[in-house]
Amino acid sequence: MNEKDLENDKIERLLRRAHPSEPSPLLKERITTEARKAWDQTSLEMPWQIPIRRLVASAAAAVLIISIVNFSSDHTLKKWRPGDAQVTRKKLPDLETLPEMPYRPFVRHMVSVNRRPSLTNASALRDYTERVRQVLNEMQQNGASNGQTLDGGRSRLFPAQPVSDSYS
Amino acid sequence: MDENRSDNILRAALGHNDPAAVELMWDRYGKDLLTFLQATLCSKHDAEDVLQTVFVRIVRKRHRLAGARCLDAYVYRIARNEAYRLISSRKRDQKAQGTTESWLIVSESNREPSDLAEQLQTALAQLPQPQREVIIMKIYRQKTFLEISRLLGLSQNTVASRYRYGIEKLQNLLGNLTL
Repeated sequence: MNEKDLENDKIERLLRRAHPSEPSPLLKERITTEARKAWDQTSLEMPWQIPIRRLVASAAAAVLIISIVNFSSDHTLKKWRPGDAQVTRKKLPDLETLPEMPYRPFVRHMVSVNRRPSLTNASALRDYTERVRQVLNEMQQNGASNGQTLDGGRSRLFPAQPVSDSYS
Repeated sequence: MDENRSDNILRAALGHNDPAAVELMWDRYGKDLLTFLQATLCSKHDAEDVLQTVFVRIVRKRHRLAGARCLDAYVYRIARNEAYRLISSRKRDQKAQGTTESWLIVSESNREPSDLAEQLQTALAQLPQPQREVIIMKIYRQKTFLEISRLLGLSQNTVASRYRYGIEKLQNLLGNLTL
């Protein structure tokens, strides 16, 4: 045993000459009485009830949060709602009542085509092109019989393009 | 091993919600906790008050305590937390620590100087709290370093070094008394 250990031993022996005070019977009585009171006051809570209670509390909290968010969302979007929407339907012009216009059968045909769903497949498109050509031919024939020839041999189906010499 | 047995009996009583557990708890932990709290707080009166709070808290958490892996460590943790809470409130209120209150007593059979207890108390109060706790548990409750390390949740080396530093400081403080 070296000198340091001897010193430590001395200190330990010195400390052992005294001791902390023991709890008195009065203190024991006081503390056990209070503890028993707390025992009676505490509800009988079985360990398996704890997770179930936590689960219920979590579910309730989730429902509450969702309700608050929904309410808040409704409240915020309220001012952006247009109210009762005024539904107006644009009445298409009756083609029969329109004044006489050139290429009326073609226009009527184009209008009817526009009302149909769009053409998607190749055969339908081909049929459509064929029909347009027929209509144009008929119109040309009608025009010829009525003495309304095409101006300068050009079709009035397309707007007259000026002969541009700008490139020359 | 006797402590283990009484811990198991206590655990069973707590688990079965038997109010007799209060008495068992007192027999098992009453003295140890009071000494520990006196060492932590350096005040007999505060230690007694905190001990009561600790017992009430243990009773309220009895089902959790019954399922605890280390019952004694759990009990000491509750005691420590309560003691630290009081120390914090003391600091907040700027109250002086109760160092003048006597919590060490000299054995009546010995013919010791009348002021020995007071001098030991003053010297112990000057130690840092962690060192004081270890010294008190080792000297006055005859706990081994292993037991203290388990109860306080520290490594055995930490406990041993705290003890060594504490004793060295006490040598400086009580050098003249050892002669």
